Amino acid sequence: MKRLALGLTVAALVCVLPGGTKAGGRFETKLTKDQQILQVLNRLTFGPRPADAEEVSRLGVDKWMDLQLHPERISENPVLEEKLKPLETLRMQPGEIIASYPQTPPGLVFRPTPLNELLSQDQIRQILNSTAEERRAALDALTPEKRKQVLSVVAPQQLTGLPDIQKEAEAARQEQLAERQKQIRKLMPQLTDLLTQDQIQTALRGNTEQLKELFGFLDPEKRQQVAAALPPQTLAQLPEYRRMGLKSKQPQQVVSGDLKEGKVYRALYSNRQLEEVLVDFWFNHFNVFENKNVQIQPQGVVRMLLASYERDAIRPHVLGKFKDLLLATARHPAMLYYLDNWESISPNAFDSFLVGPFAAGQNLAQQFSRQAHGLNENYGREVMELHTLGVDGGYTQADVIAVARCFTGWTIRQPTTKPEFVFASFMHDTGEKVVLGHTIAAGGGEQDGLQAIDILAHHPSTAKFISRKLAERFVADDPPQSLVDRMAQTFAKTDGDLRAVLQTMFTSPEFFSEGAWDAKVKSPFEMVVSAVRAMGGEASDTFTLVQKIAELGEPLYGKLEPTGYPEAGEGWLSTANLLGRMNFATTLASGQVPGVKLDSSRLEGKDAAAIAREVLGRPASDQTLEALAKGLEGKEPMARMVASLVLSSPDFQRR
Amino acid sequence: MLTRRVFMRGGAMVMAGMGAAPWWLARAADGASGGKRKILVAIFQRGAADGLNVVVPFADKRYYELRPTIGIPAPGSAPNTAIDLDGRFALNPALQPLKALWDKQQLAIIEATGSPDPTRSHFDAQDQMESGTPGKTSSDGWLNRALSPAGPDTSPVRAIAVGAQLPRTMRGARSAIAVNDAQQVQAGNADTSILESMYAKSGDQPLARTGNDAFAALKIIRSITQQPNTPLPGGPQAPQYGQGGELGRSLQQIARLIKADVGVEAAFAEIGGWDHHGNENPQLSNLLRQFGSALAAFSQDMGDRMEDIVVVTMSEFGRTAQENGNAGTDHGHGDVMMVLGGSVRGGKVYGKWPGLEKEQLFEGRDLAVTTDYRDVLGELVSGHLGQKNLAQVFPGYQRGESLGLLRG
Repeated sequence: MKRLALGLTVAALVCVLPGGTKAGGRFETKLTKDQQILQVLNRLTFGPRPADAEEVSRLGVDKWMDLQLHPERISENPVLEEKLKPLETLRMQPGEIIASYPQTPPGLVFRPTPLNELLSQDQIRQILNSTAEERRAALDALTPEKRKQVLSVVAPQQLTGLPDIQKEAEAARQEQLAERQKQIRKLMPQLTDLLTQDQIQTALRGNTEQLKELFGFLDPEKRQQVAAALPPQTLAQLPEYRRMGLKSKQPQQVVSGDLKEGKVYRALYSNRQLEEVLVDFWFNHFNVFENKNVQIQPQGVVRMLLASYERDAIRPHVLGKFKDLLLATARHPAMLYYLDNWESISPNAFDSFLVGPFAAGQNLAQQFSRQAHGLNENYGREVMELHTLGVDGGYTQADVIAVARCFTGWTIRQPTTKPEFVFASFMHDTGEKVVLGHTIAAGGGEQDGLQAIDILAHHPSTAKFISRKLAERFVADDPPQSLVDRMAQTFAKTDGDLRAVLQTMFTSPEFFSEGAWDAKVKSPFEMVVSAVRAMGGEASDTFTLVQKIAELGEPLYGKLEPTGYPEAGEGWLSTANLLGRMNFATTLASGQVPGVKLDSSRLEGKDAAAIAREVLGRPASDQTLEALAKGLEGKEPMARMVASLVLSSPDFQRR
Repeated sequence: MLTRRVFMRGGAMVMAGMGAAPWWLARAADGASGGKRKILVAIFQRGAADGLNVVVPFADKRYYELRPTIGIPAPGSAPNTAIDLDGRFALNPALQPLKALWDKQQLAIIEATGSPDPTRSHFDAQDQMESGTPGKTSSDGWLNRALSPAGPDTSPVRAIAVGAQLPRTMRGARSAIAVNDAQQVQAGNADTSILESMYAKSGDQPLARTGNDAFAALKIIRSITQQPNTPLPGGPQAPQYGQGGELGRSLQQIARLIKADVGVEAAFAEIGGWDHHGNENPQLSNLLRQFGSALAAFSQDMGDRMEDIVVVTMSEFGRTAQENGNAGTDHGHGDVMMVLGGSVRGGKVYGKWPGLEKEQLFEGRDLAVTTDYRDVLGELVSGHLGQKNLAQVFPGYQRGESLGLLRG
């Protein structure tokens, strides 16, 4: 019996091996058991940590994947919760954030008194428009104090012909500048104003315990001032102080920091790794840019909305129904603002910002100069091109306009104080629309937008587009059409159940095939996070990691275009980028990244090949091993040095 | 003699010497025709620079009617008035450093330039302009297409862009590298030979190619950065990039590479922050101070070599002719371009001024475009770089009249 079974097995193998077409062949060749374990870790997480492969092996690949597909069954890492606790804006509503994190800290706002508040209109006219003698007389007529104030704000060319007064004005300006600098120095004192020399030495060079002791010694106000005056790296072990200091100087940076640092913490520590990967994917798909319009409105509007956007519009739906995700993003003020739908107004509407729930005031209205027709097509186009059908999905310019018309009225109430979705009927275009062949009757209101969502979510191109994008992220840059088709079928059959689509993908032969093995180049975010995870790193503060990721070209929440960052990994390869990754690998391995501690004890005493195997989770390629062997011949390199070489290798750049 | 340093201090890898110079280095200084290699430097002002306040059309009274608050005062004795160029146009006073170049006839200005495409979206317009294809975005850029195919002698650093990512302008079939000062300074030591070997032998094609480019470029850049700054004939002992901000640093990088004669042909740098929807003038002055200073420092630094170098500046579109309610301007259309170099017919404002009356404005609001930006770039690509096949550089484009920007 045994011999027969063996014979059959061999025969079966012989039949399976010869592949079909070249491309098909690779996607038909199965991975080994060990490879499968690494594959799920590489794809469903942000990179394997030292103990992960064992855990997957213990549970079994299928069971482990299924667990990740049901994150509610996984208890979250208490370490993560602890690290996220100080990042309070992540849990706040936009209105609260706006109230507690103003653009400039109170007291630091400095506004020179303009001329029309210092003088009457007649006086101003005299000073600005008469002959030199008349201007001199007008200035002489002022009290000395007022004269100084006026001279410090009047434009230099207004004083032509009065060289002595010009000099005086210059002196007055300098004095005002000095005064202001004194004020700033009082509000943001330097270390030398706050601490003794010894204390400064402790602050800059002491260890964490000493620093904690020093802070404990100070009263709360001084503590905050010292935290604000210290360079951020010195507080990498005491991130709460760093945050406190930054909040007193640049509250907006804290809001931005919470988002980015939080994202890196989650990628490093969350047990619900697949959920985190999906949140990253879907945020990128429904991209919004942190700094939209910051020139007009320095208090970044989008930035205040991002925590809520990711937490309330994206995360709850990543394993739910696509149409729910689409609707949640369409309604969220972050998207409404980013793609301008909030100011899209029916061509027939009363063309003004000054009425209704939208009454935002003259200034805001003037800031956004309007096109003649009032309709803003930005969202109408991008929701089809980027979010649902895809650029080749079969929509026309007429559809773009129709969809935009459907969404008129979908806007933001109180955008600068307590932003939330509101439907403004006076902005809405109530005419009949035809969207992708579906007629939406005239006389509708908010439902027009809901109908548009319904049409887009159920369009056959959407199933294909979404499936392809998911396959690009999780399988390969150019995934096999057969897989994409099957995923699209699941999408259609289940009314866009994203968990089901993922299951189709993760249980497919293509997912566990040679064609999908090592197929993806890591993005900068993936490279940095996977490096820390592979090295068993602990992060007390992720702000430097956030910086490194930005330097490598992927500033988090910082993609200006609605396309988001590319899913195709190979776009990330540039010479500067690659050298940047190597620099990071070196800095990380040598323990020089503030806020990150590595544990390389398990690598000690091993040879290069073994270290490579530990860091990569599998044996390195022959070429990498050869280069290591040759280059390190006759040397006794430190384990960390070898690790840095492995993290810099071509092997580590792929997942 | 290659000395080795096993690991790093302070997390930085330190280059400790270089092997024999690559064979192509010897020939890198020479141009195709045997003379000195010609170099084109493209500078992109990201954010839609307000051309009307950069080069002020002070003789057109409509300018002051449209910009009562933010109009730059006409040339006069006061320090903050525009700097007269030719009786019709004047430089924003913050561009004082460029006046000397104008006087030396090395600075040419082209008015009312832009794209025929009306888009006022920053990213669309930038993508299209960098692609050299108005109305759509290509996957490669005009400057990459302007380069001749690489041969065995081609330097790995012939096309460089300063920044962490390669801009679209430089992307394409020809090998181009992104050079980022921060990165280069750190990486590179004896251990790079191990990394180099990993990448050179790797079966992973895309990574191998990028890796090889990276290490080739790195060697060059490291060796240059370690050498003391060599002044060029006609150039200053110590170049003055201090006031040039980020752009100054980028141009200084490019300058070092050019001076080292490693075969640079095309270079790219960018300067952002031009999107002044409100409170324009103070911000614009600040930016222009850096901009003008950086360009002047670069010109000076290159000394006599400027004869072979042309710098061209561009922005995705201009801004509204009329100021808005916030002492700023909004997205517009026509803009201004500058061309600098020893072989440029400078000291002149080119282009047909369309006027600022309402009916003369594009869509009643913006400066119209009377010279397609591809005419400017095309003339430089063919006249300076010697790439005569403009149909390849700007597909689908019919050239307009020659502007006569270059001498000879």
